[in-house]
Amino acid sequence: MTDQTQPLLRFTGHRHLAIRLVLSTLTGRPIRISNIRSNSPTHQGLQPHEVSFIRLLDSITNGSKIEFGMSGSTLVYRPGLITGSAEGLGASNGVLNHEISKECRTRGITYFLIPLCLLAPFSKSPFNILFTGPGCITSATSSGDPSIDTLRTAILPLYKNFGVDRNLEIRILRRSCAPSRGKLAGGEVHFVFPHQIRLPRTLHLLNAGWVKRIRGVAYAIGVSGSNNARAIDAARGVLNKFVPDTYIFSDVSSAPLLPSPSDSNDPSGKTKGAVGFGLSLVAESSTGCFYSSDVASPPDGGTTPEDVGKQGAYQLLETISQGGCVEKCAATTVLVLMGMGSEDVGRLALGRDVVGSEEVVQLGRDLRAFGGAGWGFRDGRDEGEVVVSVVGRGVGNVGRKAA
Amino acid sequence: AKRMHGQKRPYRTSELSRLMYNLSLSPAEVLRKWSGEEDEEEELDGVDDKGEDNFFKSKAEDSEDTEDRYMPKFDYSALEEKWENEDNIRLLKSRFIGGHMVGKSGD
Repeated sequence: MTDQTQPLLRFTGHRHLAIRLVLSTLTGRPIRISNIRSNSPTHQGLQPHEVSFIRLLDSITNGSKIEFGMSGSTLVYRPGLITGSAEGLGASNGVLNHEISKECRTRGITYFLIPLCLLAPFSKSPFNILFTGPGCITSATSSGDPSIDTLRTAILPLYKNFGVDRNLEIRILRRSCAPSRGKLAGGEVHFVFPHQIRLPRTLHLLNAGWVKRIRGVAYAIGVSGSNNARAIDAARGVLNKFVPDTYIFSDVSSAPLLPSPSDSNDPSGKTKGAVGFGLSLVAESSTGCFYSSDVASPPDGGTTPEDVGKQGAYQLLETISQGGCVEKCAATTVLVLMGMGSEDVGRLALGRDVVGSEEVVQLGRDLRAFGGAGWGFRDGRDEGEVVVSVVGRGVGNVGRKAA
Repeated sequence: AKRMHGQKRPYRTSELSRLMYNLSLSPAEVLRKWSGEEDEEEELDGVDDKGEDNFFKSKAEDSEDTEDRYMPKFDYSALEEKWENEDNIRLLKSRFIGGHMVGKSGD
């Protein structure tokens, strides 16, 4: 499918790598990214989690061509068709297996899943991917990835606004925390995205409404469930004066078991994965906008559940106070989907600090580099709100032209 | 009065569209300009030592963690202080259901 005659779009730097690859795949434009950490003395070139993401892209597309430079600091990507978990292209029984190696344990599973969700509606056949492996972390990580619960309850429901809502599912088969040095994660997540569309609906989201309820998940993995109770109690202590409808679920599970081939005495032996606890909070507004927060215990321990609960609650308040209809960690998702919509103007009210983040500014530039129209801005209804107008490209789903 | 007039108002929406597609600026610079921080800096530093300034800045940026993040880093002690403050709590209550009357009755 790749058109060799199309000129390469050139980018530099390691930032925004995943989203650039996603945009390239969606628009079909080949890209060349150079200077990937070329100045770094210790971690030159692509990092393991990035390579893993590229491998994942390769397995869900057909005909992609990927070339690395000698030192891994240059990457040429020529996208193919998004096929999803099609039989005969790496999937067995309709399920694609993606093992995340232990070198990738610096990033959470959402690092892979948030960009992947953007590709899924434009696929030819459904997405059905099982994530496993010693680098599969379902909790929030210190590298800034939200937990899988936040993705499931705060980002995935946003796809409904674009007319994508049928049977989306993220099954958390086994939870795991961010591991400390020498430890492994070992989570298991089943990602099912069977709703493919021709074009996402044009979105007009201008009224953030009022926060009407707060839901959350507290998870304790391999540690006592009383940690959950303590974290929930602390979070409720902060949040109860704002909204009475607060309910936080508690999920207690044992540490994941991983095969340990390193132990020479017992080749079939298992080691315990990382332990820890964390809290994911999601506030829902009367107009269906979501705000989330995520805190997990650091891999090396040393935090009390009370601190985690309080920090989560304060972080949630901060996110709500930034305003707008979409929070920062979901803004990329919504803006990209708007950019891929039909050739019509969609409008979205965002908080000033959300628009004024590096990710969003760079996304605006990248979208234009990929052939989209520039964004328009005007003042929002509330003070500190900016209305972003995005014109869709009308590319849509190449694999479903007939549908 | 002239100084006051020359001072740009930070966070002007019309300003952002101009800055965002000015590709000679990095996203971080755009944000600094938009929030009005840059102007004050320039006034204080003068234009002469700008080159030197950039030199040090780029070094500092390289050394710190510049990986992609979905969630920004939070300073939790500052957040705690902010959200224990009664004024801030009252302001935020208007964003919650049932709380929207609070701000109105106060006005």
